[in-house]
Amino acid sequence: MSVIVLVEHTGGIIKKKNFEAVQYASRIAENTGTTVTTLVLGTIAVSEMESLGEYGAQKVLHVADGRLDELHARAYASALFTAAQKENAKIIVTLHDINGRAVAPRVAVKLKAGLVAGALSYPDLENGFVIKKAVFSGKAFAFVNIVSDVKVIMLMANSFPVIKGDGKAVVEKLEVNFSDKDFGVKVKQVNKVTGEVLLSDADLVVSGGRGMKGPENWGLIENLAKELGAATACSRPVSDADWRPHHEHVGQTGGTIRPNLYIAVGISGAIQHLAGVNGSKNIVVINKDPEAPFFKAANYGVVGDAMEILPKLTEAVRKFKQQH
Amino acid sequence: MNATESVKAIKGGEFLIRETAAESVFIPEEWNEEQLMIAETCTNFLAQHVTPNLSRIDEQEAGLMPHLMNEAGELGLLGISVPEEYGGFGKDFKTSMLVAEKLGGGHSFSVAFSAHTGIGTLPILYYGNAAQKEKYIPKLASGEWKGAYCLTEPSSGSDANSGKARAKLSADGKYYLITGQKMWITNAGFADIFTVFAKIDDDENLSAFIVEKGFEGLTLNTEEHKMGIKGSSTRQVFFNDCKVPVENLLSERQNGFKIAVNILNIGRMKLGGGTVGACKEVITSSVGYANEREQFGRPISKYGAIRHKLAQQAILTYASESAVYRASQNMEEATELLLESGVDAAKAKLKGIEQFAIEAAIIKVHASEALDFVVDEGVQIYGGMGYSAEAPMDRAYRDSRINRIFEGTNEINRMLTVDMMLKRAMKGELDLMGPAQKVAGELVSIPDFGGTEEAGLFTKEKKYIANFKKAILMVAGAAVQKLMTQLSKEQEVLMNLADMLIELYVSESLQLRVEKLVNLKGEEACKEQLDIMRVYINDAAEMIAKAGKEALNTFAESDEKRMMLMGLKRFTKTEDINTTQCRRNIAAKLIAENKYCF
Amino acid sequence: MKILVCISQVPDTSTKIILKDNNTAFNSSGVTFVINPYDEWYALIRALELKESGIATDVHLITVGRADVEPIIRKGLALGGDEAIRIDADSNDPYETANYIAGYARGAGYDLILCGKESIDYNNGTTGAMLAELLDIDYIGFAADIQIEAGSAIVTREIEGGEEVDTVNLPAVISCQKGVAEARIPNMRGIMAARTRPLKVITPSALTPVTAILSYELPPAKAGIKLVSSDNMDELVELLHSEAKVF
Repeated sequence: MSVIVLVEHTGGIIKKKNFEAVQYASRIAENTGTTVTTLVLGTIAVSEMESLGEYGAQKVLHVADGRLDELHARAYASALFTAAQKENAKIIVTLHDINGRAVAPRVAVKLKAGLVAGALSYPDLENGFVIKKAVFSGKAFAFVNIVSDVKVIMLMANSFPVIKGDGKAVVEKLEVNFSDKDFGVKVKQVNKVTGEVLLSDADLVVSGGRGMKGPENWGLIENLAKELGAATACSRPVSDADWRPHHEHVGQTGGTIRPNLYIAVGISGAIQHLAGVNGSKNIVVINKDPEAPFFKAANYGVVGDAMEILPKLTEAVRKFKQQH
Repeated sequence: MNATESVKAIKGGEFLIRETAAESVFIPEEWNEEQLMIAETCTNFLAQHVTPNLSRIDEQEAGLMPHLMNEAGELGLLGISVPEEYGGFGKDFKTSMLVAEKLGGGHSFSVAFSAHTGIGTLPILYYGNAAQKEKYIPKLASGEWKGAYCLTEPSSGSDANSGKARAKLSADGKYYLITGQKMWITNAGFADIFTVFAKIDDDENLSAFIVEKGFEGLTLNTEEHKMGIKGSSTRQVFFNDCKVPVENLLSERQNGFKIAVNILNIGRMKLGGGTVGACKEVITSSVGYANEREQFGRPISKYGAIRHKLAQQAILTYASESAVYRASQNMEEATELLLESGVDAAKAKLKGIEQFAIEAAIIKVHASEALDFVVDEGVQIYGGMGYSAEAPMDRAYRDSRINRIFEGTNEINRMLTVDMMLKRAMKGELDLMGPAQKVAGELVSIPDFGGTEEAGLFTKEKKYIANFKKAILMVAGAAVQKLMTQLSKEQEVLMNLADMLIELYVSESLQLRVEKLVNLKGEEACKEQLDIMRVYINDAAEMIAKAGKEALNTFAESDEKRMMLMGLKRFTKTEDINTTQCRRNIAAKLIAENKYCF
Repeated sequence: MKILVCISQVPDTSTKIILKDNNTAFNSSGVTFVINPYDEWYALIRALELKESGIATDVHLITVGRADVEPIIRKGLALGGDEAIRIDADSNDPYETANYIAGYARGAGYDLILCGKESIDYNNGTTGAMLAELLDIDYIGFAADIQIEAGSAIVTREIEGGEEVDTVNLPAVISCQKGVAEARIPNMRGIMAARTRPLKVITPSALTPVTAILSYELPPAKAGIKLVSSDNMDELVELLHSEAKVF
């Protein structure tokens, strides 16, 4: 018996949110008296896999099939299913991200398992197997009890701090009998945005709204983001007006993000926008309208003209970074 | 007497002398799924296409308004009540009223929309011959052609039949040559079709003509600069021997004034729907702002002075709306009866509308004044921001004001309300004499202290309303007796009588609506609506008392006056209620829902 | 080509969430319900576009819910859906929902099943992939563009840090987001036609859900804001460093 975690990597590099998932799983394993086994797919160095031990993984099952370097959801699901059966796992953990959402539901069906998508808490074992998740796009939380024997948890990234420990996981090869169907989706083309911090991964986000007046002023947002090492985002009217690309839109009908710091510039804070960002740990609101509803959801506020404040803030950050 | 039959037969103006059963009125809480979907389409259209562009509309950006009209046309919103054979959707009057209401918050767009679908389309639809309808209506219903209506002239506004525009037959007998100047013509800048009123030769009455933009001799002046509805195209239209083919005479010679008046009747009622819609939008903004704006550490919606304003905005809106849809339904039923008796569709509709011209005038006045109140308090709730041209109240405040002026000024409509009532009595269509004499008799008898009837939820209010009717019959009866033919010259008295009639009609419509609603949903679910009704009728009693007293003091004398003043007091007496608490309850609901929610 | 579009009823995006029954239920009184925006704006409209361009022949809608969801089904029909199916059940468990839909779709000859990337009430975004697994077909999530060519779909979908163009043989399930299509407003013609379009109600054999929502909670109110003068950005940076510890 063990808790199985699907760990993803990008070109052989494992990103932080996967460590969070491993650490999350290891805590559950502790509480349920079992161990953590991670599943890693595709081409990756053994040392990179071994490092998962630093976050509590005892064992790594590695499916070293090069076809798995890109997402083939059915193949991933087959591998995870095989691993779960091999380990007799009752709990399966993935991230609640794009790939996780393509894979975990399939595994849940294969195992007839109940699933919680976007878990924000450890399971409460005293009242069953109860996990907190956001509903109504962050306007509320639900406590979901999984009643099936096997449980699938899709963890919302940035829910827990990641603490690096000691340890080295043992890497084992796993053979999976893939069928042609597992590779039915063919990837024709990949267009990666390079050189920017990814919004979904970002710890720090600078976001602009209609108060920025026009796309020509976005340089101010980008400068601050660059200085901070932050990703950029925007509100719906901004993406609707095509001032910014759609993938930057955060809010109820756009992306939901939970960064450590969210700086909202010229965004009034409509309920739909707040829904997408109110999981942020710290919110700074810059707005010239002191009545903007966003101020009520903010930790720090600056009332004034964004065009004047942004350069000053960027400069202050630059100064701070030089001193520290 | 069978209740439904009697209700079906209710005539225009009869509200003054008859009781109406609650189950017979239409209330907006009864919209069916299809109507709600149409309403949602209107709401989404406004939210997505109109509201984000209000500033561009007000700047009269070239081509924008016709483009928005085309989009509305593509959605089918320009042909809601046009028969299907002419490319419309054949929906009933209530549904077209619902559309007017849902688009009513669109500022200048609403004006363009209602001018096109009302005065721009209806004269041809109702009075055109088959060839005229086939030629013009499908294109107006789709929005391919836009319509306008040319009645007012620089020297003839309220006195519409006094216009100077003249038409004469051309030498070859193929054309009417129209010469004249028309003013305040809505949609003129982009209209393709104008319904133009002019007298042929030395006729006593106007005739109406369908004039296409391209007809020789038609020119447009530049855009007028207006206080509000700045995005609505308003121009003078000049006709200089404008060549109109004889087949474009609408209806018969000298029938134009009748056309003008009847089309205005519809316009007045529709204006009621539109302003109710605008009221709701403004209330939603007001509540939203009051919930956001903090002073002394609390949102201002927590303060009684603001709550009073919010509640009063909602009370007037809900009351006005009750009258709008009650009258719409009555008109429809009258039309149906006429249709059943074999009258053709267009005529039945006109007759139905004509019958409810009194109610149309009442609604026009009440709803436009309700909106003016609502926007005024909207500005006040916004405080300093209310006066800022960057906040929404600026436009709402300026755009509201025209509603008391166009479609007949509120003064003209007040006079018409009384005038039509009395004319119908004179013609024997409406028996005011009998009931008025009964009231006069009651004045000298021992007052009825009541109390025998079982007290129901609406017993008191029904009694008040019955008394309001007595008060009006008493004052109006005395006015007719005393002033006789002079009454039409005593405009102040006419205004008083009109105010009394307006308050009666709206109070009764509101009471019937709430009664029906309670029957549908139960008392618990209608607490705030009951409060709205109680406050409104309480205040109406005071207004009726005040107007009645003012009238009596104008023309009555000595003992008779004293007796009538006492009667008036008795007929407008209501039990004391805590209106402050009622308003607090109403406001609390608005504040919790953060929008207009009744 | 036959397309099945999965739609779900959700509270309007402007809804303020109020709880009732000791926080075990969401208070829906006075709430406006709409078609889940991703289902309507993108999945359904794309299906209708495919029909308008002659690629699809039939667009069917399916939803799981009681009779009170019929207004949103009618709206889907008013937008242009040819036929609708309502599975008469209550479900907020994605596994249960996917099973109901799969039960209907299995063997019904659909070439393409579209849904929104997630519903804005339970925010799972898992029903589509479950449905694909149950039907043993491929699934592509987060599509931003869908083209149909010779029995397969060419799908541009979101990946981390960019996008990817995939081809997939039909039948398949695709979940849609922004970019796939543009929202439309139902017109009068559609609204009037909606009444006459068939709406099938199917009573499913009951399933045992594998999850249950025990209770809800509202987010705590923020503990008050610190206002910083616009002339003192150094102070803001210092607060972010020493107090918020974000860098």
